[in-house]
Amino acid sequence: MTTRDFTTYMKQLNEQLRNYFPSKDVWTPADDAIYKTDDLFRVPLKEAHEMQLKSIKHTFTYQYNNNKIYQNFCKERNFSPSDINTNDDLEKIPLIPATFYKDYPSGRDFATWLGNIFTGQLPKIMIPQKHPTYDEVINAFNKAGMAVAYSSGTSGRHTFIPRDQRTYYTSEYAAAKSVITMVYPLWEPSLYGYLLMPNPKKTNVYAGKVCTIYFDAIQDVKVAIDREITTELIQMTMTNQKGIKSSIVKLATKRQSIKMIDEIIRWLEYQEKTKNKIAIVGAPFILSFVMKKLEKEGRAFNFGERGGVATGGGWKAYEGVRVPVVDFRKQVEKILGIPEKFCVDLYGMVEGNGWLTHCPEGHYLHEPYNYFKGVVLDAENKPMGYGEWGRYAFLDAAAFSYPGFLMSGDQVRRLEHCPVCDRPGPVLEPEIKRAAGAEVRGCAEEVRRMLSADLSQDS
Amino acid sequence: MFTPWEIKQKEMVPPLHMLQMNIGGVFLLLKMLLFNLGTFKMLKNQKKNVYNRPTPTYSIPAYTPEMKHCVSEDKYLRPTLFCDCRAPEVIALAHQLGAYQKTDRDYAEAVFEFAKRKIILEQHPIDDVKSILHRGTGTCLHKITVFIALCRAGGLPARYKFFALTLLDEWAAPALDHAPLLKQWSDAMGYFLLHGAGEVYLDGKWITADVGAEPARQASSWMPITKLGEDGAGLWLFPIPGSTIIRESIPLGLGIPSRILMNHLVPNSVAGLNIGILEQIEKGKKIIADAGGEVAYDSEARKKHKKEMMKNELLKEHANIIFEAE
Repeated sequence: MTTRDFTTYMKQLNEQLRNYFPSKDVWTPADDAIYKTDDLFRVPLKEAHEMQLKSIKHTFTYQYNNNKIYQNFCKERNFSPSDINTNDDLEKIPLIPATFYKDYPSGRDFATWLGNIFTGQLPKIMIPQKHPTYDEVINAFNKAGMAVAYSSGTSGRHTFIPRDQRTYYTSEYAAAKSVITMVYPLWEPSLYGYLLMPNPKKTNVYAGKVCTIYFDAIQDVKVAIDREITTELIQMTMTNQKGIKSSIVKLATKRQSIKMIDEIIRWLEYQEKTKNKIAIVGAPFILSFVMKKLEKEGRAFNFGERGGVATGGGWKAYEGVRVPVVDFRKQVEKILGIPEKFCVDLYGMVEGNGWLTHCPEGHYLHEPYNYFKGVVLDAENKPMGYGEWGRYAFLDAAAFSYPGFLMSGDQVRRLEHCPVCDRPGPVLEPEIKRAAGAEVRGCAEEVRRMLSADLSQDS
Repeated sequence: MFTPWEIKQKEMVPPLHMLQMNIGGVFLLLKMLLFNLGTFKMLKNQKKNVYNRPTPTYSIPAYTPEMKHCVSEDKYLRPTLFCDCRAPEVIALAHQLGAYQKTDRDYAEAVFEFAKRKIILEQHPIDDVKSILHRGTGTCLHKITVFIALCRAGGLPARYKFFALTLLDEWAAPALDHAPLLKQWSDAMGYFLLHGAGEVYLDGKWITADVGAEPARQASSWMPITKLGEDGAGLWLFPIPGSTIIRESIPLGLGIPSRILMNHLVPNSVAGLNIGILEQIEKGKKIIADAGGEVAYDSEARKKHKKEMMKNELLKEHANIIFEAE
């Protein structure tokens, strides 16, 4: 069988994901950058900088004009759209602190808060309850056509982001395109997949929700965690809550988790027997536990280039132990037989729609630099040059329904180019740390918390 | 010794959820120590921390019996556990700070500044106000106790506000980096067990007094230097919803566990934490100096923290959100 050239490969992907394209009436320069570019990580620098300036300036102007809160925030800092003329000016865009989206009230006020941070025309939201819970508010918003999602820190304090469907689709498409680009030529619609995350249809945890596109990108997807995941459940597990209800939840979780690992192994056995091509996507620690069990039983698979693994966040396997990304890849090659080049990690946040993705050659995290600009800040929140460790911040032109100009709680080192591959854009070193004092958080941190304490004892 | 009547009246009985949280926290630490061999290895390999307590920058004036002080047995004015507002040291210091000489607000502010600036943060088992004043250091609870004792000595009603919390961004880690076990514990817990603030009754309302953070520590993370009436919540700490309690007294049952934990279970980690705190203070002093002094620093830091103003805008009614139950 001949390998498709890259252009054909991406064309096929775009046909497959046609429903994720925005309509022409809402098309923006950010969409030009995301949808019209074949390879987000190989845009010539000059061209990319032009796209970056145009798309970020356009989105900033939209946020400034349509979000009163952000406009006031900018006015207090004497900054307006007319101050952006060059790419260097982008770094002066006022950045919202990482804590902003998690500093929310409860009940009725939560709904108001969520509505006020939304940018643009909010659909009519009907809330029937007198004292609504977080889940009830989110469900009311989502029933009205929104895609509100959240992630959380170890405290169980969530980061809520009011995405509309348009921003949500763009975010999903960008995530899928980033991974599929990097694992060329692995992807094809006939792949069999296993999602190591909650079922996107049964949760508003963004790590799970953003994977909805996985079901459209390939033909057959199994889900590891096929139960409803609510904010209450997350809080119980993330904050080690005590009590009868919490104990029952944890006991049930434990039983399901053990069953989940066995089911994944059975699926792997079947796929190897039938010589199917596979793509495993999701939380790395779940796969870690699968591999640990297989290793204990002296078993291994040999999927070779018929398999790929794409992980997101959550690099702690269990309390206090961090799984180095490089060891994880070696383990994937040893136990599943999947080559390291097809084992990539994504770095993204619930607040962002840019997905930094490992290159297969060096596994550095590449920024999609034509619509997303990373900045590294020092202790006083001033931008630093390349090669320095600092707090990661970003300007996200694909955040349409909320201001996506943010400081994260992550500590990174950003390089001008990848030291290993020839992609021209900036990269982050593969290991991301949490900034001093920031809560442990990650795409898969909630899921890890829910499952890992039990699994680490039993597997 | 307190009688059962006093224990009840002075609100020394911890509420159930506080007990649950604290017992749960201690069990989690024990579980970590007992079931994770790596923790023991980590503790064994940890370097020996030597903490040198800073000398107090103040002296306690001499007490004379004619010094006026509050003798009321009313709630929030009387002595409570660890907070003997009639101790000679407290009365003498209260006079030095202007008790019965200044207006209530000016006196409360003087007391606030003393507790905030002069008592340096140190992880230390809970003990009484006299010991704290002689030592010049203590946890946030010690610092609040000093604030409350001095307020009560000067005739101002004062009380405790306790809560569990999370600390964010650049705040806790410089200290926790020196104490990996405590870092692991707080990570596993997801929050810090106990923090608090004082409250003083002025002009018909309770005013918060977040005395826990010295100005230099706040500067180390570019926080504004909070004043009497300004809350740390939302700035550098986030109370866990539902965990806040208001009490006249520190609850019973904190003294012995804190001694066991800090003096016997994890003394090296506690020393490391205290070293980290002093480093944080030094860093903050440099930032203040570089900014051109405290006033200039504070003005710049406040510009960076406009969050409170935004909060009000965020809670304005939204026309498209309809609450059907109303």
